[in-house]
Amino acid sequence: MADRPRAPVRLRASLALAWRTLRSMRTALILLLVLALAAVAGSLVPQAGFPGAAAEIERLHRDHPFRADLFQRLGLFDVYGSWWFTLIYTLLLISLAACLFPRTRALLRNVLARPVLVREVDGFRHYAERPLTGEPDAALSRARRVLRRRRFRVRGPEDATIAAEKGLLREIGSLAFHWSFFLLLIGVIYGRGTGFTGTAVIAEGETWAEVHAGYDGSAREGRFFNEDHSGLLVHVRDFEVRYRDDLSPEEFTTRADLAHPDGTSIGPVDIRVNHPANALGVKLYQAGYGWAPVVRVERDGEPIADAPLITVQPPAAEDEDPRTLPWRGILRLPSLRPQMAIVFELYPDGLAALASLQGGEPLPMVENRNPFLTFDAYRGDLPETAAFALDSLDTSGMEKVSSGLVGEGRTEELAPGVTLAFPELREYTVLQVSRDRGLGIMLAAGILILLGLLPALYDSRRRLWVRAERSGEGTMLKVGGFALQRRDQFEEEFARVVDDLAGVDR
Amino acid sequence: MTADLSRWTFWVAIAAYVAAIGLYVAFLRSRAPRTGRLASVVAWGGAGAHLASIVLRGVSAGRGPWGNMFEYSSLLSLLIVVAYLVFVEVRMGIRTIGAFVVGFAVLTMGLASMALYTYPAPLPPALNSYWREIHVISIITASSLLTLGGIFSILYLFKERKERRLAQAERADAAELAARDAAPILGGSGDLDATDPPDYAPGADEPAVAVAGRRKGLLPASETLDRLAYRTIAIAFPIWTWAVIAGAIWAERAWGRYWGWDPKETWAFITWVLFAGYLHARATAGWKGRRAAYLGVAGFVSLLITYYAVNLFIVGLHSYAGV
Repeated sequence: MADRPRAPVRLRASLALAWRTLRSMRTALILLLVLALAAVAGSLVPQAGFPGAAAEIERLHRDHPFRADLFQRLGLFDVYGSWWFTLIYTLLLISLAACLFPRTRALLRNVLARPVLVREVDGFRHYAERPLTGEPDAALSRARRVLRRRRFRVRGPEDATIAAEKGLLREIGSLAFHWSFFLLLIGVIYGRGTGFTGTAVIAEGETWAEVHAGYDGSAREGRFFNEDHSGLLVHVRDFEVRYRDDLSPEEFTTRADLAHPDGTSIGPVDIRVNHPANALGVKLYQAGYGWAPVVRVERDGEPIADAPLITVQPPAAEDEDPRTLPWRGILRLPSLRPQMAIVFELYPDGLAALASLQGGEPLPMVENRNPFLTFDAYRGDLPETAAFALDSLDTSGMEKVSSGLVGEGRTEELAPGVTLAFPELREYTVLQVSRDRGLGIMLAAGILILLGLLPALYDSRRRLWVRAERSGEGTMLKVGGFALQRRDQFEEEFARVVDDLAGVDR
Repeated sequence: MTADLSRWTFWVAIAAYVAAIGLYVAFLRSRAPRTGRLASVVAWGGAGAHLASIVLRGVSAGRGPWGNMFEYSSLLSLLIVVAYLVFVEVRMGIRTIGAFVVGFAVLTMGLASMALYTYPAPLPPALNSYWREIHVISIITASSLLTLGGIFSILYLFKERKERRLAQAERADAAELAARDAAPILGGSGDLDATDPPDYAPGADEPAVAVAGRRKGLLPASETLDRLAYRTIAIAFPIWTWAVIAGAIWAERAWGRYWGWDPKETWAFITWVLFAGYLHARATAGWKGRRAAYLGVAGFVSLLITYYAVNLFIVGLHSYAGV
């Protein structure tokens, strides 16, 4: 038993081995490849939460239950949030740090240390001798000037020798590049952690407040977010879509007035795609739009509802142009006894709708021209669900009391004593609202990555020694040196430096 | 009108490129400098017509001619040809790989005009930003250089294998000779002067260029190809990095998030990771040479997927009308 190491020693040995393995370039390369492989999986398997992915995942579960189950268990439907993806990049970063610490220490030593003097300069890869007239001291002070002008770090003359080096920037750049990934990660964690993103749906003429309740539960909040919403007030004056001749959209513009929570004005803004508005630390992005018909319901002349109703477009079949379909909205009237709900279909362009009916060919409805609503009114108990869908209603516990059509500016009777009016058609805008305080850090990291990359790839570490010895009447100048990288280029540079040192004009 | 003229000059460019490929192949076989120069001149002519085609396309669409896959492919292949002509032919004086590079460019153009052609048209609002110019131009510049790097890496792998085989054969020959010479007393002297000394093995100090002309092969030495691949990738990598960063900045403005693992973003990232791997591998003992070249080829394949497969088969935010 005596020759077997005790447990702590063995543990320490295997830890040391693990550390050595982790910091080897081989490990880093393999981890890098595994990271790429994981990303490949993420791009091929539908990712939960991505647009259109939910339906694909459902189809996979239906058609290939075994495969879907396997994917589910492996976390392949959420690669970028899975524990193993986190593990891969965490290991990669640890490996990177393990490699960077000693290199940073060595760099600091190199920066602080002065170039090393040598006695013999003729043993290096590049070597040249030049006879000069004049004193060795003059030659050396000239050499010092020349080398400094060429941005070498110079030491000496000491003992008739000058040592010079250049290209520490290569290592500085390389380290800046690699360390910046940690900065990037800090920016992501800080920004995502303390920030939030959500959508605001605002009809023309309405004012929306940037508070928790404003998002209807649509906000995704960071882990360290502490409900410090800005309270920004957004009053939408007008929303406009500009179309081209072929009816493809050219520009979406929301014209809004922004104000502090207490109502003092910040000023008007135009929010367009690629031109977000920025106020009180939050950004507002143009994300969508739709129609919001103002509907007014009255009972015995008393208004029960009078507001723009958000309508949405039901998903179109593959061969359908979604712009030819009517928009759908639901008005719930829980305060009535018995309760009521009205399901609307909006035809924003009445003329196009009519022409579609006559011609049989569905025409897109993108303009506000003689709009009309069709409605189905239900009476009974509204389903008791927390989340209200915008475009579907469970009418199993209700009975239909009337249906019909109401044009803009008209009033129809829904039930005895209950009237429905459609005074005007407005538009609504969908804004994405987010706050990310990490963006500045990330931008700095991005700049450092780029700035570091250039010298890391193109600079090279070079060392030179110059020695001046008395020879007869004059001086013999001896120059030796080498480059650690880009050796082909150094050959030419060395020749030029030697000529410069000898005072030859080229 | 300008659209038709653009189409016409596009075909002139393809015709010139095809002729240049023929000349490059003839040059490979004959090694007559005149043929090589003629090949270059024809390739430059093709590039001129190609440039005219792209400019006319931009005039016809009233915007920068890099708005859809056809236009992107066309500009990409022009940049590949020009980068090759400038860096490899003019700066390094190597003409022997012209057929491969111009061949790839013609393939890209042919595919673009057959499968991806759309009439010049304006773009959806999300693309209406100066970041589009910055992002796309840097992506396309980096892509052309990475493509060259990929081609060089592939050629390197072929050449390197050939050189290894050759070295093996040399050693075998040498061993056989040595065996034959083992009994010199019997048969008098063989023709010793005609062969290298038995301990001579190419590749130890000098590259295999030293091998007799007949066996030298058509391509430049593997060392040259390796250096070419490294140089182009080392230039392209920072540009690609910048392009991805610019894309993230633009995505933050246009879509309200800088990174969303959209398929295009994901594959741009994979390509970046593979070429980063290439650059590291080339500086790592045990990985330089063949393994690094395999990484370069993998990066090239990933680049092609980023461009073609993601646009055509995977739907994401980077999918726009008319491919």
